[in-house]
Amino acid sequence: MNIVWDRIESLGRTITENLEYTLKIFLMIYLSFRAAFLDQAQGLRQTLSVLSTQIYFTGWQAMPLISILALGTGGILVIQGMTNLTLLGGTEMLGNLIVVVLVREIGPLLTALVVIARSGTAVATEVGNMRANREIEALESMGINPLSYIVFPRIVGGIVSVLCLAFYFMIIAIFGGYLLTQFFHDIPFSFYSENLLRAFGKEDVAIFLLKNGFSGVIIFVVSCFQGLSVKKSPHEVPQVTTQAVVKSIIYVTVFNLVVTAIVYLNQLQKLGVV
Amino acid sequence: MSEPTKLMPQIKSLKFESLFFQHETQDPILMNADFEFPTNENVLIQSIQGAGKSTLLQILGGLIVPQSGKFLINDSNVGEMSFEEFLPYRLSIGYTFDYGGLINNRTIYENLMLPLLYHKLVEVEEANRRVMEVLKYFDLEKFKDERPAHIPGRIRKISCLLRPMMTHPQVLLLDDPSVGLGQETSLKFIDLINKHRAERGLKHVFISSYDEKFMSHINHLTIHLDNGLLYAPQTEGNKAVSL
Repeated sequence: MNIVWDRIESLGRTITENLEYTLKIFLMIYLSFRAAFLDQAQGLRQTLSVLSTQIYFTGWQAMPLISILALGTGGILVIQGMTNLTLLGGTEMLGNLIVVVLVREIGPLLTALVVIARSGTAVATEVGNMRANREIEALESMGINPLSYIVFPRIVGGIVSVLCLAFYFMIIAIFGGYLLTQFFHDIPFSFYSENLLRAFGKEDVAIFLLKNGFSGVIIFVVSCFQGLSVKKSPHEVPQVTTQAVVKSIIYVTVFNLVVTAIVYLNQLQKLGVV
Repeated sequence: MSEPTKLMPQIKSLKFESLFFQHETQDPILMNADFEFPTNENVLIQSIQGAGKSTLLQILGGLIVPQSGKFLINDSNVGEMSFEEFLPYRLSIGYTFDYGGLINNRTIYENLMLPLLYHKLVEVEEANRRVMEVLKYFDLEKFKDERPAHIPGRIRKISCLLRPMMTHPQVLLLDDPSVGLGQETSLKFIDLINKHRAERGLKHVFISSYDEKFMSHINHLTIHLDNGLLYAPQTEGNKAVSL
């Protein structure tokens, strides 16, 4: 009985801790946006400077890696899709398969994972080192709010970068995948593009924006939060970076899963299945 | 003279009322301290090693919020102010770090320009003039485009000391200012403090230092931090004890 009770207690503690963490994250988003809009001193030039740097590092520099991943994923999906759908006699479903897998599910998730691996770690390390080196304190002593100067541009830059990277991933995966498939299957471009256009809907755009936009928020808020949680010593920096990666992956994956579940439950409801 | 007086209220008094502060797992640094700091003076804060002089300076700079009690500037409680409300006071207070504090991804020149440009306290030309003037005075021109990691410790230290002075503050909080500075640079820095006091509105200077040689060049009062209590200047024979 005691073991059962201990497990329940442990589960309760885990849930409470995660809820508390989530609340802190929301509070940080609110405070950083509030600080950015209340900070009369911070000029547009300062914000744009940090913002453009963030977009350059997170978005632009990740493009080669995203290109390779997108080409590989797109190629695999189109080749496998054509092969198996031909066997089943459903080649006209290729567009639906691409939209569901690439645009709705794999695209946002892979993009988020790349951004976590490249930029989430970089931001957590940078902010953590700034904390250890007393740069955050120095900013405060100069009357510069770290939330508006460090966190806000990184969140906004993260959202813009993730959205752009996910769009880039989608384009490369769809068209690169098509080109790669030409080595194995002779698919007319008109057939391919018509199939795709038929499969795209408004709902896909909404899911794309929702998943990628929030992934950007989650990754950069969690990374900044973890970085700022360094107290004094540089030895804490690798620890908070690891935590930033783990927490970002968990939160992004759970968020993607929840959105997917809600969308498909909604579809099933419309069809009268549930 | 282009003093940014529009944003900066005159600081006339600095006072603790029943102020308590304690770092986690350590002895209290301030125990319900009631203390009015001497103004218009150079004040040396003395205590044994690790008693909390740096923390005291951080509280005076509004960088640390005490657990209880009040820190009053001109009778306004800093603890009740938001970041934005405290900003005008913060811009009047210059705080220098005993180590670290320079922004690592900015050059020395950019570090010195940052508080001026961020708050748009002066025009870019005036900011540039101020920065170039001190860089020239301390012979730092050749390091101006270097990042902090690429320059000698002495240059890092003086750059860190100079940055808060760019805004021409009324209060200057110096935490171990002479450590790693060298004799010549220390004396130049004291001259700069005197110049700011005479011409640029600097009024209240608080220094934490063990360097008797450095302090011997500065006409100062001494206050003592001992077992969480602050003692007024001994020169006035006023041993007002906080409890």
